[in-house]
Amino acid sequence: MFELLFKYPLTVYEKGSLVLQSGWSLWWWVLATAAAAGAVGWLLLRQWNNGRRARALVLWALQSTMIALVLLLLWQPGLSIATLKPQQNIVAVLLDDSRSMALTEDGISRRDELKRTLEAGLADGLARKFQVRYYRMGTRLSRTGDWKELTAEAPVSRLSEGLAQIAAESGSLPIGALVVMSDGGDTAGGIDRQTLATLRSRRFPVHTIGFGREKAEKDLALLDVQSPVRALADSRLSVMVRLEQRGYAGQRAKLVLSEEGRTLTAREITLAADGKSQTENLLFNAGNAGAKTVKVTLQTLAGETNPGNNTLTRLVQVESRKPRILYLEGEPRWEFKFIRRALEEDRSINLVTLLRTTQNKIYRQGINTPAELEGGFPSTLDELFAFEGIVIGNVEAGYFSPTQVELLQQFVDRRGGGVLFLGGRTTLADGGYGASPLLELLPVNPGDRRTTFVRDRATVELTKAGQESLYARLEEDPARNLDRWKKLPYLADYQNPGTLKAGAVVLAESVTNKGRLPLWITQNYGRGRTAVLATSGTWRWQMAQPLEDKSHEVFWQQLSRWLVGATPGRVVALLPRTVFSDEQRIPLRAEVRNRQFLPLADGSVEARISGPDGVAATVPLQPDPVTPGVYLGEWGAEKPGSYLVEMYATRAGEEVGRDTISFRREDGVTEAYHTQQDRETLERLSAQTGGRYWTPQNVSRLPDEITYSEAGITTREVKDLWNVPLVFLLLALLRGGEWMLRRKWGAV
Amino acid sequence: MIALLLGLTLWSALYAQRRFRRGMDWPFQETEDVMPADGDEKTEFAFARLRYPNWRSSDRMWSMRGSWSIDYPKADRQFVQGVRRLSRLHVRSTEQVVDLESDEIFNWPWVYVVEPGHWDLTDAQCKKLREYLLRGGFLMTDDFHGSMEWDIFMLSMKRVFPEREMVDIPNKDPIFHVIYDLDNRFQVPGIVNYPFEQTHEYDGVKDTWRGIYDDKGRLMVGACHNMDLGDAWEWADSPEYPERYASLAYRIGINYIIYAMSH
Repeated sequence: MFELLFKYPLTVYEKGSLVLQSGWSLWWWVLATAAAAGAVGWLLLRQWNNGRRARALVLWALQSTMIALVLLLLWQPGLSIATLKPQQNIVAVLLDDSRSMALTEDGISRRDELKRTLEAGLADGLARKFQVRYYRMGTRLSRTGDWKELTAEAPVSRLSEGLAQIAAESGSLPIGALVVMSDGGDTAGGIDRQTLATLRSRRFPVHTIGFGREKAEKDLALLDVQSPVRALADSRLSVMVRLEQRGYAGQRAKLVLSEEGRTLTAREITLAADGKSQTENLLFNAGNAGAKTVKVTLQTLAGETNPGNNTLTRLVQVESRKPRILYLEGEPRWEFKFIRRALEEDRSINLVTLLRTTQNKIYRQGINTPAELEGGFPSTLDELFAFEGIVIGNVEAGYFSPTQVELLQQFVDRRGGGVLFLGGRTTLADGGYGASPLLELLPVNPGDRRTTFVRDRATVELTKAGQESLYARLEEDPARNLDRWKKLPYLADYQNPGTLKAGAVVLAESVTNKGRLPLWITQNYGRGRTAVLATSGTWRWQMAQPLEDKSHEVFWQQLSRWLVGATPGRVVALLPRTVFSDEQRIPLRAEVRNRQFLPLADGSVEARISGPDGVAATVPLQPDPVTPGVYLGEWGAEKPGSYLVEMYATRAGEEVGRDTISFRREDGVTEAYHTQQDRETLERLSAQTGGRYWTPQNVSRLPDEITYSEAGITTREVKDLWNVPLVFLLLALLRGGEWMLRRKWGAV
Repeated sequence: MIALLLGLTLWSALYAQRRFRRGMDWPFQETEDVMPADGDEKTEFAFARLRYPNWRSSDRMWSMRGSWSIDYPKADRQFVQGVRRLSRLHVRSTEQVVDLESDEIFNWPWVYVVEPGHWDLTDAQCKKLREYLLRGGFLMTDDFHGSMEWDIFMLSMKRVFPEREMVDIPNKDPIFHVIYDLDNRFQVPGIVNYPFEQTHEYDGVKDTWRGIYDDKGRLMVGACHNMDLGDAWEWADSPEYPERYASLAYRIGINYIIYAMSH
């Protein structure tokens, strides 16, 4: 329709510039038009001066417009536009050959539809006007002589790299335009700005032809899985799964977490509304030390079009380290014994205890050497920082020297350790903590009251935060966990911990005959964390329940992991992700601290990498000029598989520390995700480069459209506008309109 | 025939003691029990004494001999005074009598049994005691002497732990070092040995320190055989009872408690 009226395609009008071929100034046309309009007006007013001036004005407007249009045609208007010289330019056709093109919709795969589109005339149409080069776009861009050999088996489609490669080749080739035939899924990270800028500077119009449905009809898809990067052995871990579905709203589906084919946990979920993202949590036990590859699978439902996006893999580094916790107890208490027993069963925790048995004697357990902690609670940084967590039992605030108090603060703030304060008859408010510098560390203000410690029964209830906390999980299922907490035997005692500080989180409350009190309160402090457990009576969970019940052990093992699980060493190896799907560049980062746990800026750090098939590399990391103590590097992991990275830091030839982290490289995984046609990306690419987005249905005009390109070998031509049908139509309308009005008004 | 001979032997031994007591100027007099003012204080620890059924024997005297309440309550109360003074343990001034009939015993993770050479636990009691010990409870037995009382003690203990052995506790075990180093232990005599020219009863000539360990190498049962620590606690305030025995008995008791509260 457009061409019927305007003679030329829209592109000509978009890309062309208006010229007047007569060479006369436009001002002359304005002047002539004004003179003619004035003359016509004078004549009309003379003739229609009988009070019908409105009608005269309408007639004047119609006649003046017609005269202006006729005069304009005398000036010979035209559109100047660059056109590609026939058969002298190359059109590069990039064909998506990735796995997503094998998806079948409406009985035909995207790949076959692509072939059909080319066969239906596009290939011939292009060949008539240009030299056509076909490129297969997969892991790499490769030229192909025969597009019929597309396999749709490439694990990834690197659209951005393909475009960049073509742009680079264009220096020696007269490339007139690029045609991308794809579903738009660049699974290798999207089109980067540099590539886009190059295309625009070379004036390459990129025409895109989109394949595939823009919305799947029936599909379950895992959008994201977030899991902890590191964990201590036997830790209870939570994996957060984000998913969406189309076509199965309200139905039940099974979410399975597995490791090497062994199901770790599974649960039934109810699917949310179409297209609505929903989040589910799965809990599992980290088990033994080592790199764990855990796989989250959403079980396929009947009729699902793309089961390939139902699985995501993550890597968890289960650490072999055995963090040391120092527990100082001010007097013999049953709680002490049973905490010791609970943690003795934990192979990931090394508990060292100091028990003040008499006024003059401290009984040490779990020490490495007879001399260790001979003087009691550490008074030096080296001694204290050797631990990752501290538990302070029934110890009055005055027991600690000013040096020890300062060290404790630094232990949490700088070292990043955890400190747990237990309730007792001479601690918290009853131990003078309210007036001690140790108050700074507490998540509560104990106040200066006395007798806050009561040897009376109290039951425990989880708060909302506690129900959501991983560390308060005695059972993996949230409902069963809540029920189990409710069934726990009463505590032997409780303590009023005081008022909560800002930022404190209460995970559990004690329910006493005098009301509810915060029982388990946590807070983050500096790089570390502190907590209060305002009781010394959890031992009844062990003594008052059958031997088979492990509530007491699990509680203390979980709590100890909260205490030390996130306590960093002097070297911390960091990666942005643990699974790099279709990405080869691996950014490496290490954070290094000295013995005082202050950032170490003058160290040397290298990453020792080992991978599949004997891959081994040593990558030196460079100090980050912005952040002291941070060292950065990058490495290319070409082969898919599991890699181990040990970051090793030295200073002046002496080892500072080392840390190990794992990652996994996968190819072709993301190709199965976001399989709907990414029309937005294709349209944006075309719009930003002067091309156009096409569908297989309207692609027949593409060869003509490509002709109007400023890239390649072009010639500039002027398209006359005087013979555009719309002009004649307008003239006829103007003249006919005037004639109709005159007849109506009786003026003919 | 053997049972008859055994019975005669025991009878003669007991009879001799009765005669001995009549003939001597007996300095040990029972005093009236007075409830301490802080007797109902809520504390971390209380001296828990196990009430048990006596051994049923055709020998009426033997059946009557020995009871869960021997030395009760003076030994208990006098001992905890020492515990209070010598350790940081928060201790109640009065004892707590528990039995194996209800679940109350699970609130008292350390329990003392006197004269277990005369106990006779039912199957249900054996089962409960086993559960108690495996959950983390500690049993200290005292004041039983000679092979016969040992055998009777073990008849019930074997039903509690048929699969575990009662073994000698080595000197290096923490129970002998947790507060006091008790490498040089000796037999602590009971009051019947007054004036303590001999320290043993029956054929229990040598003090034995035995116990049953759990799977982690922690003592669950501490059997103080051929000694009478309870008497030493009870008569520690009597000038006639030798201080060296009382001192050792206190140290043993304190070590056993602190061990039970730290292992």
